[in-house]
Amino acid sequence: MGELADRLRGKRIAVCVGPGGVGKTTLAAAIGLGRALAGGKVLVCTIDPARRLANALGLETLGNVEAHVPEHRLAEAGLRARGQLFAMMLDAKRTWDDLVARHAPDRARRERIYRNRLYQQLSSALAGSQEYMAMEKLYELATERDYDLIVLDTPPTAHALDFLDAPDRILDLLGNDTARTLLAPAVSAGRVGLRLFQLGGTYVARTMARFTGAEVLQDLADFMASFQGMYDGFKERAAAVRSLLAEPQVGFVLTSSASPRSVDEVLFFHERLLAEGMPIAGVVANRVTPQLWGTGPLPDAADLEAALAAHGAPDGSFAARLARTLSEHEQLARVDAREVARLFEESSGAHVALPRLETDVHDLASLARLAEAL
Amino acid sequence: MPGLALLDHRLLIVTGKGGVGKSTIAAALALLAARRGRRVLVCELNAQERVAPLLGAPLAGFETRQALPNLFTVNVTPRDAMREYGIMTLRFKSIYDAVFENRVVRYFLRAIPSLSELVMLGKVLYEVRVQEHGRPRWDLVILDAPATGHAVQLLRVPGALMDTVPPGPLRRDAEWMHALLVDPGTTSLSIVTLPEEMPVNEAIELDAAVRGLLGIARGALFVNAMPEARFSAEETSRLSDLAAGGAPLGPAALAARLQAIRAEQAGRYLARARAALDLPTVLVPLLAREQWDLGAVEAVAAAIAGSGEAGGERAEVEALSPRLERL
Repeated sequence: MGELADRLRGKRIAVCVGPGGVGKTTLAAAIGLGRALAGGKVLVCTIDPARRLANALGLETLGNVEAHVPEHRLAEAGLRARGQLFAMMLDAKRTWDDLVARHAPDRARRERIYRNRLYQQLSSALAGSQEYMAMEKLYELATERDYDLIVLDTPPTAHALDFLDAPDRILDLLGNDTARTLLAPAVSAGRVGLRLFQLGGTYVARTMARFTGAEVLQDLADFMASFQGMYDGFKERAAAVRSLLAEPQVGFVLTSSASPRSVDEVLFFHERLLAEGMPIAGVVANRVTPQLWGTGPLPDAADLEAALAAHGAPDGSFAARLARTLSEHEQLARVDAREVARLFEESSGAHVALPRLETDVHDLASLARLAEAL
Repeated sequence: MPGLALLDHRLLIVTGKGGVGKSTIAAALALLAARRGRRVLVCELNAQERVAPLLGAPLAGFETRQALPNLFTVNVTPRDAMREYGIMTLRFKSIYDAVFENRVVRYFLRAIPSLSELVMLGKVLYEVRVQEHGRPRWDLVILDAPATGHAVQLLRVPGALMDTVPPGPLRRDAEWMHALLVDPGTTSLSIVTLPEEMPVNEAIELDAAVRGLLGIARGALFVNAMPEARFSAEETSRLSDLAAGGAPLGPAALAARLQAIRAEQAGRYLARARAALDLPTVLVPLLAREQWDLGAVEAVAAAIAGSGEAGGERAEVEALSPRLERL
């Protein structure tokens, strides 16, 4: 077990963050599997619509519920788990519906929200909605279940900050002071169909209607009215999620590839997590090209042809291709080494550089080998 | 000529999994079109700008800015797009400022789901159809779209609004935008992938969404960072022995073995993508470069331009082979 696994040993929650395409989901699964093998009840929660974790864990269906990865699957891969491994895929829409059901005072109100067209868009299509629900689900799992470790794989956000900002941004839409002040009279009068012109000044409302159409505003007003009284519950929960993330039982694992762009993004995110006081367990540089040639000038085609001749098989074309391949490889390795050095110099926590493997990691046996390296 | 034929459209949408090189492909396509004398605009959406720096040009921001001759870039942000759209709808800046800078109104506008996607997409599509001096302002607009999931969310907004929003100004805008997106003579969507398992899986899912949910005409599949098949099977089998030896042959053979394994795997994922997707494929070779700069974009552009010829030759060879068999 390596340094990262050490740092995660005392943690109950590991949050894997990083740009898309760096192998975040695979690492999340490896971290989870590693702990389950060592003994522990572990859940790996992914939010990925491409079902990458399902592929990696050999699970055919992953729903919004936790599924046990069967012992025989592990046994087939030559693994014996002293603990248990569970996996699930977050369904943002279902999580929204559950959240509404949890906070709605009665069935009628719940159904009215479900039917609202804006709610339907908000819960399924609004940018940031997935990120918010990932946080929400994490809180539910952390407070209501008895896992020793929950590994959360975060959505491949367009902007790393969405993950931290989405809950506040969406909550702000559900109700801020302005909206509440405006809506209060209608709600207290028990009226459902809110008149547009109560929204604050006829001139403003009429001009807005020209922009959006009056019925869109009506839908929105109805939506706001439905959420009255529930807002505080949502807000409290979001605040609880945020303070949960700053607790010492949480460890963020930042994952990057060796590309400059990915390193930039991860360092930016690292800075933000530090500013928010959130605990960083470590930084993983994934798929790094290993350096194969020590110091000194690279061999050219003639050097290699001579060496091949010593093996009794001189071949000029083969030697030339070998020379070119080594030189390209070393160039990629040099660029990668430079970027990984920058990533590690400017970040805290455990530092793990994983070499690019000969094969993709997509089965339990290779996930277990990856877990070893962590 | 899948690569170059794409340039005959008015709007090219480039998307794919995060980290596969969408911006590089978008920049290379723009370069190819611009060098053929067409006026090109590349749009990024609320992004950390990638295209202008790749071309060695300063960041554009929301103001369209020339990066190279005939080649312009812009970064569309929701706030600026909303403002531009608002002024266009209301016709007077003073009215926009009076109404839309009002904090109650700003709050409600933000609260309308998908409105920011709609106005950003609206800005891009407006650039496609806007005329200047009796001809389109741009010969070609290239949208460097967000990654798969977000791209589908973005591109389905007009269609979704047509289903959910009652008749009115929003609905009318959604309608013309949708019509432009699904017109195969105007718009073409290309997917970028790497020859690796997960990116190919995602490309296949994305393609299904494009055909089903979005209904946008499909252009090509760009397979980026494709390692060349450099060593024969016989040579590859020798590499393991050679790799066990000392320098200089050992490390060279080790690098070659890694290259050969990678090329073999890439070939398999390419075959899988080709079998699952009836799309012309454009192969962009894996480039070993110190910096991703204009030189790299030019190399990618040359590969795209060359892929047409290679594809053409292959098609010809395939057409000839039955005759050869008969002979």
